[in-house]
Amino acid sequence: MRLTLNISRFDPQTDANPAPQAYPVDWERHETVLDLLIRARQQDPSLAFRRSCRSGICGSCAVQIGDRSRLACQTLVREVAADGDILSIGPLRGFRQLRDLVADMDPFFAALNRVVPWVITLPDHAGLVSPEDAARIESPATCILCGVCDAELPPAGSATPAALVKNLRLAVDPRDALGAQRLKLAGLTAAGMRTFRELLPSLCPKGIKLPVVGE
Amino acid sequence: MLFHDVVIVGGGLTGLMAACEAPPGLDVALFSKIYPTRSHSGAAQGGFNAALGEDDSVEAHIFDTVKGGDYLGDQDAVEVLCSEGPEVIRSLDRMGVPWSRRPDGRPAQRSLGGAGFPRACYAADISGHVVLHTLYERALAAGVRLYPEWHLVEILIEEGALAGLLLYHLATGRLEVVRCRVALLAAGGYGRIFQKTTNGHSNTGDGTAVAYRAGAVLADMEFVQFHPTTLTGSNILISEAARGEGGYLRNAAGERFMDRYAPQKMELAPRDVVSRSIFQEIKEGRGLDGGSVNLDLTHLGREKILRQLPQITELAHRYAAVDPVREPIPIEPAQHYSMGGIRVNLDCETTIPGLLAAGETANVSVHGANRLGGNSLLETVVFGRRAGRHLGKAAAGRPLPPPPRASLADALGRWQANFSAGPRHPDDSAAAIRDALNRTMTDKVGVFRTGEELGEAMAELAALRTRYDALRLSPGERPFNTELIEHLELGCLLELGEITAGAAFRRTESRGAHYRLDHPHRDDARWLHHTLARRGADGRAVYEAGPVSITRFPPQERGY
Repeated sequence: MRLTLNISRFDPQTDANPAPQAYPVDWERHETVLDLLIRARQQDPSLAFRRSCRSGICGSCAVQIGDRSRLACQTLVREVAADGDILSIGPLRGFRQLRDLVADMDPFFAALNRVVPWVITLPDHAGLVSPEDAARIESPATCILCGVCDAELPPAGSATPAALVKNLRLAVDPRDALGAQRLKLAGLTAAGMRTFRELLPSLCPKGIKLPVVGE
Repeated sequence: MLFHDVVIVGGGLTGLMAACEAPPGLDVALFSKIYPTRSHSGAAQGGFNAALGEDDSVEAHIFDTVKGGDYLGDQDAVEVLCSEGPEVIRSLDRMGVPWSRRPDGRPAQRSLGGAGFPRACYAADISGHVVLHTLYERALAAGVRLYPEWHLVEILIEEGALAGLLLYHLATGRLEVVRCRVALLAAGGYGRIFQKTTNGHSNTGDGTAVAYRAGAVLADMEFVQFHPTTLTGSNILISEAARGEGGYLRNAAGERFMDRYAPQKMELAPRDVVSRSIFQEIKEGRGLDGGSVNLDLTHLGREKILRQLPQITELAHRYAAVDPVREPIPIEPAQHYSMGGIRVNLDCETTIPGLLAAGETANVSVHGANRLGGNSLLETVVFGRRAGRHLGKAAAGRPLPPPPRASLADALGRWQANFSAGPRHPDDSAAAIRDALNRTMTDKVGVFRTGEELGEAMAELAALRTRYDALRLSPGERPFNTELIEHLELGCLLELGEITAGAAFRRTESRGAHYRLDHPHRDDARWLHHTLARRGADGRAVYEAGPVSITRFPPQERGY
């Protein structure tokens, strides 16, 4: 099978604006969008994109595929295109395009700092965590900081979406001195939190289900 | 030009642990070719070994590790690894690692291959991921200066000692000199020399290759671990935890064939044994079509599979179109881990003054000829911590070296030689050379080796090197010049591939993961030593023997 990748190209040293470039590529049923990007780069080594683990755990290859942001390595081509289609690929929506599919991640990572993104360990904590408490941490702790939620969801409260996930993961940790008080850091209403919790699983590459905290 | 007291290269578990454990007040900067949370440590699934259980002991962990490594591991280093393990696990717990838990609240532990006890602390099957992110959080808390997307190009040496580093900054497209008193390399492994590997695209051994070029000694490069269970085709890792939780390996006839090869440990024999057994089954015609066997989890039940192994369930579903709850997963062995690396002592010091190394980049030789599951994650945090704590002393003992001059001029000359004003080599490409390297390594330097094939591999790799040297890139320092990065990575891969093949050719015995069909037995009289490799004046590797530390367990025959 064959399709055309329509990839947003931008080189800050030569281009005033991004412009799409077409890459016709062959594909097979089991392949991912990342496989096709790698094939396109073999045709044109100047095409820049990030990738590393190719198994959905490192978060490098988050890009916009068609109408929404996804991990290229986790997206099977057959889920988003058919034989002969044109598939558009661009950098994460709303992020500054540094070059081609490479988005500026610095503001994304910097935004985590707003929620004090580490466990402030209670000095007298004995190191025991019940399996029930551990289970509440589990889903938000699968966050890979890929940036897809920040690209897809409007800001809610004063924390960015990924920072909010981190905040909730920490808020349910019994070792943490702040605990549920962390919700104040996010400046989010109960209604805003419910909406966020409902929207997140369908677009998050890890399908994160947020725990209910203090509502 | 930048300068810091201490520079760490690599933002995976080892580098982050070292940054977190460095003495407060020390000026530490961490440079990483990708954002630290993208490091391949995060892909580790199974767990961190530590003798925490009532029935378990540090002594038993040491013995299992030494035996698992086929007696090539340095027993003084193994003792450090195993005895510091429990304390480091407790420290990670305080840092906020979300371990899976026992009913009484302590970290849960599972069995992995070659271990006498359930010894691996884990978080479902995303153990590396959760610790990576916790250490990243702690590095933020500690105020470590992070430099993401800086690629190591050269280590600058003046008068035999570290004078600085040369790094390429992807965002600006510029080469920068970074001066420091001491540098720690924690840059991971080099699995991408192989076509079939579980390693991510970034695992190109830059730290190891660049240190070797700068004069560091490498050790035991012939010992390459092939993980038994990777998805056929994509070679995405399916954790040993799948067998630790009770999964079976079956051939095409549905037989649990491990009873022929390791009747006591069965599926939980060490990885070298299991990988060879799988290939033996396939070779003797009992594999599935396309050269696989099955990993069968169906008898574990849906609830246990989804609770303990959620990630691999998803991976099998997405990348192999298989539902492990209902059907077996076709798997094949693939390269997974590099036992070899930069030779270091127990303080993580290399042979170059001012240069330290730890983690998969290094060889302190805790794994010997074959690593046990759960011991590499442990190594990252135990030796990351040791390196971090040693950085203060190492930096205090070393004034900031003067700005590099001759070494920098030489390095810039080599840098310019990558580029050409004219067109690139018209008939060749980095991608084509890399593909040929990968195929040679997987076909001829794999699980079963012969002197003849290793000799062929060495000749093929030398020819690839000649082709590589003729490649030229278009000039210009451009942001995110990933073509340039892949070019530099290929140079490292070729270098490490040649040493791997050369060391394997030289070692005419079989030990751990190094199996020679033409020399099928271990030969302690001739080969109970490390293979040390240094770069000779003509650029070719010079090999010699190095002693193995044997403190408590004299070599015995290794049966499972």
